[in-house]
Amino acid sequence: MNILTIPLKNTRRKPWRTTLLLLVFALGVMSVISLDEVSRVIGDSLERKLTAYGANILVAPNVETLAVSYGGFTLGDMNMGDRTFSAQKTVQAIRSIELKSRIAAVAPKLVTSTVIHDNRVGVIGVELQEELAIKSYWAVDGEYPKSPKDLLAGSEAASRLGLAAGNTVQLGEDTYRVVGVLQPTGGDDDKVLISDLKSLQQTMGMTDRIHFVEVSALCAGCPIEDIVSQMQEALPNMRITALQSVVKQRMYSVTFVKKLAMIVSLVILLTASAMVGVSMLSAVNERRKEIGILRSLGYSRGQVFAIFCVEAFFIGIAAGVVGYAAGYFVSFRILDALNVAADAEIIFNWLRYFAVCGIIACLAVAAALMPAWKASKVEPSEALLSL
Amino acid sequence: MLKAENITKTFNGEGAPVRALDNVSLTVDEGEFVSIVGRSGSGKTTLLHILSTLQTPDSGELTYDEADIGQAGGKKLNTIRHKDFAVIFQFHHLLPYLTVLENTLLPFMNALRPVSSSHVKKAKECLERVGLGGKWDRLPSMLSGGEQQRVAIARALVKEARCLFADEPTGSLDKATGEEILALLKRLNQEGLAVVMVTHDRQYASYADTIVEMEDGAIKHVSLPM
Repeated sequence: MNILTIPLKNTRRKPWRTTLLLLVFALGVMSVISLDEVSRVIGDSLERKLTAYGANILVAPNVETLAVSYGGFTLGDMNMGDRTFSAQKTVQAIRSIELKSRIAAVAPKLVTSTVIHDNRVGVIGVELQEELAIKSYWAVDGEYPKSPKDLLAGSEAASRLGLAAGNTVQLGEDTYRVVGVLQPTGGDDDKVLISDLKSLQQTMGMTDRIHFVEVSALCAGCPIEDIVSQMQEALPNMRITALQSVVKQRMYSVTFVKKLAMIVSLVILLTASAMVGVSMLSAVNERRKEIGILRSLGYSRGQVFAIFCVEAFFIGIAAGVVGYAAGYFVSFRILDALNVAADAEIIFNWLRYFAVCGIIACLAVAAALMPAWKASKVEPSEALLSL
Repeated sequence: MLKAENITKTFNGEGAPVRALDNVSLTVDEGEFVSIVGRSGSGKTTLLHILSTLQTPDSGELTYDEADIGQAGGKKLNTIRHKDFAVIFQFHHLLPYLTVLENTLLPFMNALRPVSSSHVKKAKECLERVGLGGKWDRLPSMLSGGEQQRVAIARALVKEARCLFADEPTGSLDKATGEEILALLKRLNQEGLAVVMVTHDRQYASYADTIVEMEDGAIKHVSLPM
């Protein structure tokens, strides 16, 4: 028996009222938790889908160039170093950074050219699976390459060179077969031929060499600058460039979902807190006699204040415990209903659980501050005489 | 022990202020039994509330063991209410969700520190003394009116109060139970507890050493019972 016995036993005094208040508050917590979990999963899922629309980080050799011009004629940039680098080492380095879980796709590329029917055309070596991860908008007339010597032709290149699925093309000493023609993309891919990276490296005598790497990073969990910085540490001699406009555009969609969920959560929490406050206020008015008794027994204003705050704390803790657990399970049901349960990666985080319970308890206490203050101001004689 | 001098108290009534006490002076000695009688509105309950520090006077002096407590701060008043004074009311005023034992121990439940086992033991003894032995686990709703009043008296005993203020303690009780309560108060008074009781019943008032008769906010007559 101590001062906590009073608020604890009082919550049992009107079980239906306490249960109802607890349920309303727990419902608010449940809504917030489920909204947070669902928005997080949907945001991640959305971001993963958005990665299919392009890379957001470019890795290229740190080559110094010298602009050459003389007499008013510009002759372009003169390379001062080797433009190619090791594919294996670079991809391995990117895949081993601390934030590697945020890397969705790493697409290395070798850029070469050849002459076909007297027309010079670019031939790009790619790792098809990684390329498709960042360019899922590709559509092909024909089929995607299945063997190392299969080629895809960009729509403009195919048109200019008169290529169609089934034609063959001579690259160096090797013969490649065009298996599909890309439908127009509006980008550089329309003007080139696309080949398997390793096969093209062998054909061109450039084993393991590439010119640049496109990386698609998920930026919801961390800023792009952190990923770039870690990649720069892993590849000190490379130039790592974040394509900020792509990142911002992508993050806008993701953060919009999360911000919306946060605003709705705040409204729900404020409403639930207001209900706790109103309920406590009505309890103070109902319990004036009790306050009068306590004050007549020598309880200080602070002790009366504490009794009401502790009562709100108990309700908050209970609502946090019940609401979090319910929100956790409800989020699975919502994700299932939205058909994104497969993408869901909801892990029960005990630390977060305790933190949320603590925060909810503090919120309940905050909502009860005014009623508790009002209770502490009740004069004993005033309370006892009013009855 | 307790001395009130020239106490006045005015309340804001409808339209005009109402003077509840007008220059009232009264002394309560150690172990004395004082009854305050009078009609409704005579100011007897206001006087009891001022004497028990539940209310502050507008003017006048209230001293307890020579110390002025009439306008004392909250901390000092809380200490007096907690240790020395006890108040019982007409309608028992127990917390309905606490057991008999918890209600008795309420004065000691004002901190995080658990109530000591010696206090628990003493509370049980006090409950035995007022005739409620073995009923300490019951809720107030399971007790009769007289029993509830006894719990409130036991609460005064357990903290070894020096002065018990009783506001119409028999007001809601039948005659027989009322007499039992008065007999109990008298017995405790004889053991050294000072009692100040407000009553409208002159028969109950006769249990006191001193009867103070009030009228229109002033003491009309002070007498000794026959």
